[in-house]
Amino acid sequence: MRSTKTVNRRNLTRWNGILIGGFFTFLIILNTAPLLWGTLTSLKSEADLFRFPPTLFNFTPTMENYQRVFDSGFSYSLAISLIYSAITVVMVLLLGVPAAYAFDRFNFPGRRPLFLLVVASIPLSLGAAALLIPNYIYFLRLGLTNQYFTLPLIYTAHQLPMAIWIIKGTIEGIPRELDEAAVADGAGHFMILRMIILPLILPALGAAGVMAFVGSWNEFVASTVMVDAPELRPVQPAIYNFIGYFGREWGPLSAAAIMGVVPILIVFMLLGRLIVSGLTKGSVKG
Amino acid sequence: MTSRSTGLLYIVPAFSALALVLFSPVFYGFWFSLHRIRYGTASEFIGLGNYTQLLSDPGMAATFGRTAIHTAVSVALTVAISLAIALWVHRLPPNRGSIVQMIVIIPWITSTVVATLLFKWVFISDIGMAMSILRMFGLPDLQLLSDPNSAMGLLIAVSVWKRLGYALIILLAGLKSIPEDYEEAASLDGAGPWDIFRLIILPLLKTPLLLIVIVLTLSNINTVESPLVLTGGGPGSATRILAIDVFDRAFVNYDLGSATSLALIMFLGNVLLVLAYVRLSKWKV
Repeated sequence: MRSTKTVNRRNLTRWNGILIGGFFTFLIILNTAPLLWGTLTSLKSEADLFRFPPTLFNFTPTMENYQRVFDSGFSYSLAISLIYSAITVVMVLLLGVPAAYAFDRFNFPGRRPLFLLVVASIPLSLGAAALLIPNYIYFLRLGLTNQYFTLPLIYTAHQLPMAIWIIKGTIEGIPRELDEAAVADGAGHFMILRMIILPLILPALGAAGVMAFVGSWNEFVASTVMVDAPELRPVQPAIYNFIGYFGREWGPLSAAAIMGVVPILIVFMLLGRLIVSGLTKGSVKG
Repeated sequence: MTSRSTGLLYIVPAFSALALVLFSPVFYGFWFSLHRIRYGTASEFIGLGNYTQLLSDPGMAATFGRTAIHTAVSVALTVAISLAIALWVHRLPPNRGSIVQMIVIIPWITSTVVATLLFKWVFISDIGMAMSILRMFGLPDLQLLSDPNSAMGLLIAVSVWKRLGYALIILLAGLKSIPEDYEEAASLDGAGPWDIFRLIILPLLKTPLLLIVIVLTLSNINTVESPLVLTGGGPGSATRILAIDVFDRAFVNYDLGSATSLALIMFLGNVLLVLAYVRLSKWKV
């Protein structure tokens, strides 16, 4: 049976080699061209930008686009977004770990319906546009818009359900005998969480943390609506505002766009596997 | 080993955040939508007045129709293409497979604002990459965003391009969980590749497929960013889908009454999808 399979594969390679190679190239161009072309654009002067045929590398790189974007306060937005996202990651883990632990290891009234609510909130917070308007008028009423904590609070609530799900899934795999042995040694439930569970769920925390970081860094709708003070405005609405401000000046626009993805790309290069595992764990189980 | 309330104490912080941001606004919003809204605040009670007014809006049916088309076509294409790529990647050696995975996920991890902006610049703008290449071959410029059909087509293209990586990763995880000997046994019994796909792989992929259909539907219905950046709902109202309609009502026309009612109608649709999601995901406590 092995041999049939190898023969099949060899036939497949011979017949479809070129086709598959072409498709592979097409996929690469389609998915990376915007980033690469955007980077080139951001380094071109106005004159080079309008040259036809467009130059790939035959131009003098300039930082003037970045300079212009920075002069418009973009570095501040980057810093704010970094702070917001970092706070969100910390809060998501701080609130998510105890909740996941409780859902897996404790029996308490309302456990099933409450966990059902968590599961339902995963897709619900994915589609936040419908929730946004009620959320906005509610926060407006309570005076919670336009505060330094407004966006971290919203991001935390959006990212939390998926984090609880991912972390609980991992805690399930830790044998309860470990807990029981610790109890026999006189450990309380908080000690069990700290000394036994926590060291064993670090990969899940990584996956949940990366997802929370990417999610809050990329969030646009709530970020636009919930704060209007420029000193509270994170990076996505800042980039969107540049569209109105720079119009068709693609140089500074792509400089802003590129700087807006660089942190995500860094996280992706360092922790890409965690993103993939977070996505997988967060969506389908088993 | 512990009292029954200990577990509750552990979940209180998380649920406070969820209640404040996700749950209570729905109830407040519903109460709010039953009132006449003046200057952003609720005045007298008018029952379902906001809703009847909304549904008698002559443009509403068309907006629902556009949303349905945009969502259905985007989801169908994303699922079909990601399934094809997944079946292909699944057969690649692990190294090359994970390269494809990493490449296709790039648009997904990029924010929708940035991804749409760069997509527009590179593939659509008159001095972008794609149009420059066309011009080098002596072909005329395409004004894709000024034609209603091609504008909708582009909006769908952005959606598929952006979300393909997500669907691919979920499907690959599903494929990985199918034992290899199923296929081998079937091909020993003389089943061709099409039979293996139709009779073995497809039924076993049912859950992940349905899950991505739900998640993709939800995120397509609710996407504000890509129409906002790509078309602004235009030309005319050719790409005015529900999400951007709600957004405009609230923050361009400052009509919070109709915006809230429409948002809650959307929310009801979301809840139906969420219920399907909950049924499918193998949750247990």
